[in-house]
Amino acid sequence: MAEKIVSLKNVCMYFGGIRAIDDIDFEVEKGRVFGIIGPNGAGKTTIFNVITGVYIPTSGEIYFHDNLLNKLMPHTIIDKGIARTFQNIRLFEDQTVLDNLKIAHFSHTRYGLADVFLNSSRYKEEEQRIEEESIKILNFLNLADLMNKKAGALPYGEQRRVEIARALCCKPEVLLLDEPAAGMNPAEINDLNQLILKIREQFNLTILVIEHQMRLVMEICEEILVLNFGKKLAIGTPNELKNNPAVLEAYLGKTN
Amino acid sequence: MTKKNYSTGKNEFLWQLAILLAITLTLIALKEMRLVSTSFLLILQYIGIYAILTLGINIVNGYLGVFSLAHAGFMAIGAYVSAYLSKYFFTDITMFAVSIMAGAIAALLVGILVAIPSFKTKGDYLAIITLGFSLIVQSLLQNARFVGASKGLNNIPKFTNIYWVFGCLLFAVFITNRFVRSKYGRSMQAIREDETASNLVSVDVRKIKTIAFALSAFLIGISGALIGHLLGYTSPSAYGFVNIVDGLVMVYLGGTGSIVGSIFGSAAWQLIVQLLKQLDTWRWVVGGILLIFVMVFLPKGVFGNMELDDLFRIIKEKINRKEPGRGIRNG
Repeated sequence: MAEKIVSLKNVCMYFGGIRAIDDIDFEVEKGRVFGIIGPNGAGKTTIFNVITGVYIPTSGEIYFHDNLLNKLMPHTIIDKGIARTFQNIRLFEDQTVLDNLKIAHFSHTRYGLADVFLNSSRYKEEEQRIEEESIKILNFLNLADLMNKKAGALPYGEQRRVEIARALCCKPEVLLLDEPAAGMNPAEINDLNQLILKIREQFNLTILVIEHQMRLVMEICEEILVLNFGKKLAIGTPNELKNNPAVLEAYLGKTN
Repeated sequence: MTKKNYSTGKNEFLWQLAILLAITLTLIALKEMRLVSTSFLLILQYIGIYAILTLGINIVNGYLGVFSLAHAGFMAIGAYVSAYLSKYFFTDITMFAVSIMAGAIAALLVGILVAIPSFKTKGDYLAIITLGFSLIVQSLLQNARFVGASKGLNNIPKFTNIYWVFGCLLFAVFITNRFVRSKYGRSMQAIREDETASNLVSVDVRKIKTIAFALSAFLIGISGALIGHLLGYTSPSAYGFVNIVDGLVMVYLGGTGSIVGSIFGSAAWQLIVQLLKQLDTWRWVVGGILLIFVMVFLPKGVFGNMELDDLFRIIKEKINRKEPGRGIRNG
């Protein structure tokens, strides 16, 4: 059995009377591309939000390796090695692309206030290092030309890629992608599929991806979790799910 | 804002040295050779002191994007602590730097406390909390007998002169400049745009807010210390609503998130106030109308999020753009 990198045990998240996710249980193996699908409002993004500490789950436990994440602040969780993108892009629009990436280096930039005011050699070295690392990642994603452009001025597709680049700057082991293919045409989705597999290879990542686009999910996910109304409906490989009656019912309605 | 952050080349260092020398020589010329009148020299000192105040406010209200009204309180703390010390303990001018530092550090410590409400509240609510803080400081001072209650402290030694003012201003510009270009400054601007997103790219939001408030209070404390020793007295009434509004006007006139803007805002507003002095109470009306015009036509202030090099770059781009434009029309 491969190593489990992220596991959720009986996780519930209630907002008042609304059960956004209800008793969710799953484990992700290291190195996998793990898909989460389900109709709108099924609780997919809520799962990402409880993993990254935006919400504190009502009950249940979330583990990263063997660390309990439940009550940690988001920045501590990110620092441990989980990074994410957002469903509706949340770049720092007034900053340049390069600065967006540099901001994401925050937790592993090793200098203090004294280094800043004294302009110490450690400060210069660290600034140099994060700039070089950011540019390396931009080159890898073919974004280096846009380095000095304001992030808010870029077209939609490029903003999505900058968001992935920014998440990579957090040096994650696990990358959470929230609808990376939203609004893309089939050709762009094919490119994105290649990109996701490429960054998994290059950065040695485990990837969790929320997506509606079946072209993406069926092609690159090795295991898929299906949610409906906050509950786990099924889990399995793409081929297993294609013929699962419960899944078909949730997506297409009852047959008789 | 494209900035080379880490490379302070030799050339740049020489430039800084040259500018420093030029400023020193100008000040000596102005003061010792009496090139300008004493009243103008006084206005220059006001400009310098308020520029330090504006820089301090700009860190929280501009770069961090948190609407705080705590600056009157910080300024009062800086003024009172330093004035008390140099009146009763450090009566010699050689110890003036110690008094200033003590005032600024007292303000810094209080600033750390004031940062705490900003963790959970935002916008109008935080404005009200910080306004409350300023008014609490004012009314505490009005009732504290050992600092003269509502009459305030008198006979403070008048240590402040133009060298101290511009020395402190250079120090404040240096500190702010280094700070906003570091990871801390970048994070502040990220928090201004999207707090949750910054938290989710590993920025420790609470730490950054605390540091920003502390540094802001520190600089404002310095300005308070200087003004007390310039006037020779300090009273609670100076740190009320007028002071709060004055500070905000200078920040939003000069430009949020800009060092040059802070200095410009302070200079412009102090000169306007002096020019309008004959108008008596009406100057607040004229000043207010001026401010409305600035807000309508330049909502980010004159230098919003820009420094001098950004301005030069934009001007250069505008000049360069004309020529290829003509070329296209010809072809």
